[in-house]
Amino acid sequence: MTHGTPPVRLHVGDAAVARIAAQRARRVPGVVALRADLAQALLGIADAVLGQERTPRTDGVKAAVNGDSAEVTVTVVTRLGHNCRDVARAVQREVADEIARHTGLQVQVSVTVADILLD
Amino acid sequence: MAVNRLSGSDLHGASEWGSESLACGRDAATAWDRAEVGVTPDEHERGCPHCAAAFADARRLDSVVHRMSNADVEPPPSVMDRVMAAVRTDLRPHDLLALDSPHGPARLSRPAAAAVLRNVVDRMGGVRARSCRIEQLDGRDDADVTITVTARFGVDLASVTARVRQMVLAAGEQALGVPVRRVDIEVVDVFDSSVDGAVDGAGGGKDGRR
Repeated sequence: MTHGTPPVRLHVGDAAVARIAAQRARRVPGVVALRADLAQALLGIADAVLGQERTPRTDGVKAAVNGDSAEVTVTVVTRLGHNCRDVARAVQREVADEIARHTGLQVQVSVTVADILLD
Repeated sequence: MAVNRLSGSDLHGASEWGSESLACGRDAATAWDRAEVGVTPDEHERGCPHCAAAFADARRLDSVVHRMSNADVEPPPSVMDRVMAAVRTDLRPHDLLALDSPHGPARLSRPAAAAVLRNVVDRMGGVRARSCRIEQLDGRDDADVTITVTARFGVDLASVTARVRQMVLAAGEQALGVPVRRVDIEVVDVFDSSVDGAVDGAGGGKDGRR
């Protein structure tokens, strides 16, 4: 309220980026689920056993923000009938766009298709 | 989806290894392509068991690949399932195949890809997949596939291998998105047709020698 506009610095945290990524990735056609790595799975089980769901989890996603760019890793499960390469590309594209829209960050998205359900 | 007409690479493959003929003398890739495009079988193809089998293979893969699965939700996994899934997901770099993507690193679990190829081969008549190895050279996204199969007692082995090869090429491109550069097929055993379909992988091959 004094002189001019104070400079505002916005920093978006890793968890926020991971959350956006997880939410968007899950809605990509062909993605059946995101797949937690071992550490995330064990943490989730510990939480469940201790009866404390702290925050909604971002299993299967890791994010690291670095200045005005971010690196995101997404691990997905798909189903036979969807082309794995196309699913991976779609996840990369959609997640990067979504994060850029919400945060303005430049994102590099790495995708791993960890499993293909055969049914 | 870019339907795999790949005539370029198919032709390339055929010339590289000489043509892969069915027992009737027709080319397996040609029969496959005709089936995929939906051509009505000609007179020969209607009567010939080898061509009919090749047609059936192409249709079967097509029904799998283009069956857009309804967006089922995974059932909530048990604790054990979650741990085992996570352990399996802890993929080391050599367990991963590279997928071609303009948007950054994209990878595919090698065991999952091998399971898909075994699965599509298992759906073919007269063959069962045993093992499947997928190798990628560093920095390339196409792959060499080595697959061992057992064949039903009495089927023509040349036709079977031509069909398996065609199935692997098409499934690599259509289901995985991994172009297949080379397919090595080894028929390791034969099984008795009386147990076909009943018991999977029942390698009860008599000392069948053809």
